[in-house]
Amino acid sequence: MLLDHKVRDRNTRDVRLVLTIMLGLLSVFGLSHWIDSHRPAADPNVEEERLYLTSNTAKRMSLGFNGLAADWYWMRSLQYVGRKIINHPEDIQLDDLGPLNLKLLAPLLDTATTLDPNFMEPYEYAAVVLPAVNVEDAIRITKKGIAANPGAWNLYQHLGYIYWQQQDFKTAGEVYSQGAKLPGAPSWMEAMKARMAFQGGSRNTAREIYLRMYEQAGDDQVRNMARLRLMQLDSLEERDALRTVLKAYQTRTSRCPASWREIEGVLRAMRVPMDASGSPVDPAGTPYLLVKESCNADLDRNSKVPYQ
Amino acid sequence: MTIAQAMKSTAQTALRSGPGSSQRGQPAWGGGSLSRISAIARNAFREAVRDRVLYNLVLFVLLLTGAAIFIGALSGGQERKIIVDLGLSAMLLFGVFIAIFVGVGLVYKEIERRTVYAIFAKPVGRGEFLIGKYLGLCLTLLVNVMVMGAGVSIALLYVSGGWDPLALRIWPAVLLIYVQLMILTGVALLFSSFSSPALSALLTFFVFIIGHFSADLKSLAGTMGSTGARWLFGGLYYLLPNLANYNFITPAAHGQLPAATHAAAAILYAFLYVAVIIATATLIFRRRNFK
Repeated sequence: MLLDHKVRDRNTRDVRLVLTIMLGLLSVFGLSHWIDSHRPAADPNVEEERLYLTSNTAKRMSLGFNGLAADWYWMRSLQYVGRKIINHPEDIQLDDLGPLNLKLLAPLLDTATTLDPNFMEPYEYAAVVLPAVNVEDAIRITKKGIAANPGAWNLYQHLGYIYWQQQDFKTAGEVYSQGAKLPGAPSWMEAMKARMAFQGGSRNTAREIYLRMYEQAGDDQVRNMARLRLMQLDSLEERDALRTVLKAYQTRTSRCPASWREIEGVLRAMRVPMDASGSPVDPAGTPYLLVKESCNADLDRNSKVPYQ
Repeated sequence: MTIAQAMKSTAQTALRSGPGSSQRGQPAWGGGSLSRISAIARNAFREAVRDRVLYNLVLFVLLLTGAAIFIGALSGGQERKIIVDLGLSAMLLFGVFIAIFVGVGLVYKEIERRTVYAIFAKPVGRGEFLIGKYLGLCLTLLVNVMVMGAGVSIALLYVSGGWDPLALRIWPAVLLIYVQLMILTGVALLFSSFSSPALSALLTFFVFIIGHFSADLKSLAGTMGSTGARWLFGGLYYLLPNLANYNFITPAAHGQLPAATHAAAAILYAFLYVAVIIATATLIFRRRNFK
């Protein structure tokens, strides 16, 4: 009987403890939720304070774990840019991130590459993303990569791309030529020098650059950016062709076509991709807009093809 | 064979061999010595297993599994590099903790439990005792490192979706990590031969930190104005183990292999350094009074 009483007491205590735990957990979850929903908005100036460790100090303090520290800074760079892109109200391209105020990106990439000088992806990312933010930082980091990896011809490709974007075709050509001399460099690198000299600003040169970037890129985001730019170039060519057809129709009939149907036959003969309604479509499959006021073909702003 | 059985067998052999071959506290070296050391080493390994030291492998596996599954989305397609960096860094870090916290307790526990009297009542030299303990912990670390290395290789094969040469190319870096841990274990044993566990752990940890700043010590010695300071920092550079010689995690993540001559020199350096440490520990330990 005494034993029964003790067992009952123990069971009662256990039940009370379990109830206390459950109640405590529910309270903790509820309170956490309340705190999160009532948290004041972060001060962007405090959030964006500069990295307090210089890259050389970070390397010294890493105690042999510099590769892992480099990975952390790399992932931090991606999260930093990704967060800003997500919070931006409009679609934005990877090589046009100037409006996002990415002042921490250069120090993050610089630190990642100081910690691990053979880590190629941060150099590639810097060459594509940083020129819109700070072109000097982009050139400095890419040149740092070249100094640390003298046999990496693809870094010359990235550096040439930066100078090409800045329309410094002469320097771009020289950089491509230097890269072409390295073992393993593809033959198109040498051809780029001549191309830069005579057609630096042409669409064909741009197409070649983005095509090679798409083929060589190690980073998925960079490859995707190159693909979108190639689609954009294709769209520019297509719109030029559509304008030619529209102008010819206007000259013949003294008016602009009321819809794409009126010139469908000509477009089909030119093998322009079209949808079921007879409208020509852009490389992303979105129909082009017929702007009757100016008798022009324009890209739909909702298309995945970057607008230009 | 337990320590007691090995001791009994060796004592009987020594007695049968006659005088001069074995004196109390100074046993004859040779086959008997090796069997005593082996018995102590095996016992030290069993104790580490009983103390659940190898359970850190569970945490390691969870870490690597998580990395293999989730890291790809966060790293822009760099999961192979990050798995190697994470796996080998965790291997080094876990190994350092085991070397320090188990290493400083190797001698202390025997003294605390008073089992040291029973051990030295038999013809076991203090040097043999230390070497046996050291080898036992090295065996524990070897098992730890081998399992972790296999885990990293398997994770690489998983994220690559098939054969990946990087899964084999990381093993020289694994070897260098193990050799580094052997040095740290020796250092922990040295400190534990005369100091408390807490102080030994702290000092060993400092040696680990300073060992990775060796290059800075050397350059500091070169820039000092006074001769005394130059001698001090220069002396520290050569006296403390240069653990930077064993850092090959980052190059391994890029598929690079260490130069054979560099690796061989680093391994020889480690063996010589450990021999000096064990000899020093033995010198100190032989003079220690357990009362």
